[in-house]
Amino acid sequence: MKIKLTTILVDDQDKALRFYTEVLGFAKKTDFSQGPYRWLTVTSPEEPNGTELQLSLNNNPAAKAYQQATFQQGQPAAMFFTDDVKGDYERIKARGAEFTKPPTDVTFATIAMLNDTCGNLIQLTQLARY
Amino acid sequence: MTDREHYTSGPASGAQVRKDGDKWTLILVRELRHSPEKVWQALTDPAHLREWAPFDADRSLGTVGTTAKLTTVGAPSPHVSEATVRRADAPRMLEYNWGRFDMRWELEPVGGGTRLTLWTNIGRPFISMGAAGWHICFDVLDHLLSGTPIGRIVGPDAIKFGGWQRLNAEYAKQFGIDSPE
Repeated sequence: MKIKLTTILVDDQDKALRFYTEVLGFAKKTDFSQGPYRWLTVTSPEEPNGTELQLSLNNNPAAKAYQQATFQQGQPAAMFFTDDVKGDYERIKARGAEFTKPPTDVTFATIAMLNDTCGNLIQLTQLARY
Repeated sequence: MTDREHYTSGPASGAQVRKDGDKWTLILVRELRHSPEKVWQALTDPAHLREWAPFDADRSLGTVGTTAKLTTVGAPSPHVSEATVRRADAPRMLEYNWGRFDMRWELEPVGGGTRLTLWTNIGRPFISMGAAGWHICFDVLDHLLSGTPIGRIVGPDAIKFGGWQRLNAEYAKQFGIDSPE
């Protein structure tokens, strides 16, 4: 068994694909559809065969309720790791993303938080080196 | 061998694509040797839909104003879409939404049979796949109406079925979308 995929709920898959590729800089990996069902994933260009992030439509009440409550509590729906959180912050901000937290030192890491416009907060994490 | 094992799909035909702004519509036409009344029942009755359609309906789609739940069959995770019947003029015209897609079915009497036309909007990358999938569904529908049901071929069954790959390629070529993007 391997962990190859994780899922994030989104309110609109077309919008999410634009945000995750054009703003965050990921690349589309798999995209197929069966009627209104659509399997859509992105990966990091640094790791094209690495873990995929599935952009899954939140079209059921449980998904919507979980997503909204998580967002309102300020909890990130996903965390991405980077070697340069300040650089990514500047780059992603310049492409129009709204950050709810600029790069901030926390225990063992520097983190930043942004709104993915699809119903989620996303945390960028750079582990501290000691 | 059963009829299902004997089943082969014919060449890609009877499909068109229309582009209106950003919206792509797939139009599929199939002539059936069965009356519009019979075809209408197959399009609206959940017990009939289960034999050929790519979704299960939790109630009849034959009454205007009905809101039904449509479950995509074979999706990698459970996927239920709401459908509201917007038009149901039996046995001529049926309109409802399948999630965010509009489905319009027209049944025209031709001789003793029916010319069935489906209009459905679809994402551009999926047009040829959708045409191939509906092509197979219509073949299975034809068997059902003829009294020799072979069981629906959708989702993974359609992809495993050799004809789907060929139909997908043939429709992509017909629509001039060899490259998916």
